Amino acid sequence: MHVAIVTTYPPGKGSLNEYAYHFVRALRQKSEVGQVTLLVDELPDGVPYPSASSELEEAPLHIVPCWRFDDVRNAWRIGQVVRQYQPDVVLFNLQFATFGAGKVPASLGLLAPKLVNLAGFPTMVLLHNIMETVDLRKAGFASQPIMEKVIRIAGNLVTRAILSVDKVAVTIPKYVEILTAKYHTDKVLLAPHGTFEEHFPEPTFELPPGPRQIMAFGKFGTYKKVEILLDALRILEQGGRSDLEVVIAGTDSPNAPGYLQSVQAQYADLPNVRFTGYVAEEEVPRIFGEAAVAVFPYTSTTGSSGVLHQAGSYARAAVLPRIGDFAEVITEEGYDGEFFTPDDAPSLAQAIANILDNDDRRRELGMRNYMAACGLPISDVVDWYVLHFDSIIAAHRRRSAPDDQAGTAGSQPRAARV
Amino acid sequence: MATTKQHSDSAAATIVISGRFDAHQVPQVQQEIDNLQASGARFIILDLKDVNFVDSSALAVMVRGMKRCRERNGELLLCGLRQPVRIIFELTRMDKAFRIFDSEESAQSAVIAGL
Repeated sequence: MHVAIVTTYPPGKGSLNEYAYHFVRALRQKSEVGQVTLLVDELPDGVPYPSASSELEEAPLHIVPCWRFDDVRNAWRIGQVVRQYQPDVVLFNLQFATFGAGKVPASLGLLAPKLVNLAGFPTMVLLHNIMETVDLRKAGFASQPIMEKVIRIAGNLVTRAILSVDKVAVTIPKYVEILTAKYHTDKVLLAPHGTFEEHFPEPTFELPPGPRQIMAFGKFGTYKKVEILLDALRILEQGGRSDLEVVIAGTDSPNAPGYLQSVQAQYADLPNVRFTGYVAEEEVPRIFGEAAVAVFPYTSTTGSSGVLHQAGSYARAAVLPRIGDFAEVITEEGYDGEFFTPDDAPSLAQAIANILDNDDRRRELGMRNYMAACGLPISDVVDWYVLHFDSIIAAHRRRSAPDDQAGTAGSQPRAARV
Repeated sequence: MATTKQHSDSAAATIVISGRFDAHQVPQVQQEIDNLQASGARFIILDLKDVNFVDSSALAVMVRGMKRCRERNGELLLCGLRQPVRIIFELTRMDKAFRIFDSEESAQSAVIAGL
C-alpha cells in the first residue's frame, strides 16, 4: 500500500517530529507498505528536506513540503497534494497545535483530515492529545475565562470534525473513554505510544564524573516551564548540595519563541545551568545517559509523555508532576517516579532530593522505567496501524463498489527491490 | 503459563495460556508460536479461557503471530475471551482484526472447514 502521512518531520522542529521519524522508520520496514509519502511543513527560508535514503528492504520515502505553521490555507493545500499523490490511505500525526500557534490557523488546519476524507481517501488520525484533558490557561492557550470558553467550543467542533474520519487513534485508555462517551462515536481506538529503540542497551546507572546532572528535555515555553526547576536548584544548593548542574535540553516550543532566552537572562546569576539548544538525534543517548535524574517541569499535561518513554529507555529515574490524571496514566503504562506539586519549587526540590540522596531509589526507579519502556517497540505499534489501514481501505472499497468483489485490502507484499 | 497441544493435523495447534498474559509471559508464548510455525503449523489457536488480563505486549505477540500465519496462508485464531480481556480488544479495536471464537471446539471446526 501507498501510505501518506501528514506530519512534522526532522529536520523540521515542530512538535511530534521525532515521533514521526521513528514511526516512519518502522513503517518503511513493513512488507505490506510499498511507498510512504510525507506531507510535511515547509522549512524556514525554503531550505529543502534532505533526500531520504532507501535500504534494499525499505519502502521508498518521498517528502513533500506543502504546509506551513500558522498558515490558514493548510487544510486546502494538504488536500491538493493528497489528490496529486493518490495514496491508498492517509494518516495524520497531530496534536492540537500542530498547524499553528494562532487559534484560527490551528483550528482550520485541523479540518484537513475531514476534507481529505470527504475527498474519498481512507483517513486515520493519530491524536496525541485531546482538548478535554488540557488546562488551557496553564498550557498557555487561553489567558481569560471567556477566551477559554471560546476555545473549548471551537475545540469541540474541531474534535467532531476529526472524529468524522475513518478511525482516530489515541495513546491513552482514558482518552478513548472520554471521546467515546462525549461524542458518541465508535471510531476511537487505543494505540500505544510505543518506544523508539528496537534494541535497548543494557541499563547502566553509572554517572559520568563531574556534577550530577538534573535534566529536562523537550520543547519549552507553553506547558513545559523551567523556572520552577531553576528555583528548585537554588533550594537544593541551599541544602548543601554543591555538585549539581541543571541541563535544559531542547528548544523553545514553536508556540513560545524566545522563551528560553528570557529564562537565561532571568537566571543569569545561576552558574551551573546549561542550555543545550536543539538536541540532534545522535546526541539523545548521551543527554539522557549522563543525567542523574530526568525532570518533567510540566504545568499541564497534554498527552502521554514521549519524553518519559525516552527517559525510561535509558533507565533514568524521573521526577513527575502530580497533575490531573497524569500520575494514573503513566502508572498504567508501568512507569514510576518521585512526584511533586506543580508550581511548587520546594516540592520539586524535595522530589529531586529523594532521588539524588538515595542511590538505591535512583536505580530502582530507573529499572522500573526501563522495563516499562521496553514494553512495546514502535515497530509493533506500526503493525497495529497497518491492520487498521487494511480495514479502512477495505471498507472504502466496499462502499465504492458494493456489487463488485471487494477482494483483499490494500496491503500487497512489496516485491523485493534489487 | 502456556502449554501447547498439537492437533492430529500437524498444520494446526492450540496454545493454552493461563493467568496474566503480560510482558512476563510474552517470551514463552512467543517461543511456542515460533516453534509451531517452524514445525509447519499454519493454523494456531490461542485458548485464552483461563487468561484474566492481557497487556499491549501480549497483543503485539498476537498481532505478530497472526501476521506470520497469514503469510503462510494460515490464521491465528483466538477463543475463550473473558470479559476483562475482551474489553482490551474492544478498546484497541483489535476485536475486528482477529477471528475470535467462544471455544476451542468452534475454532477447530472453523479450521477444519477451511475458515
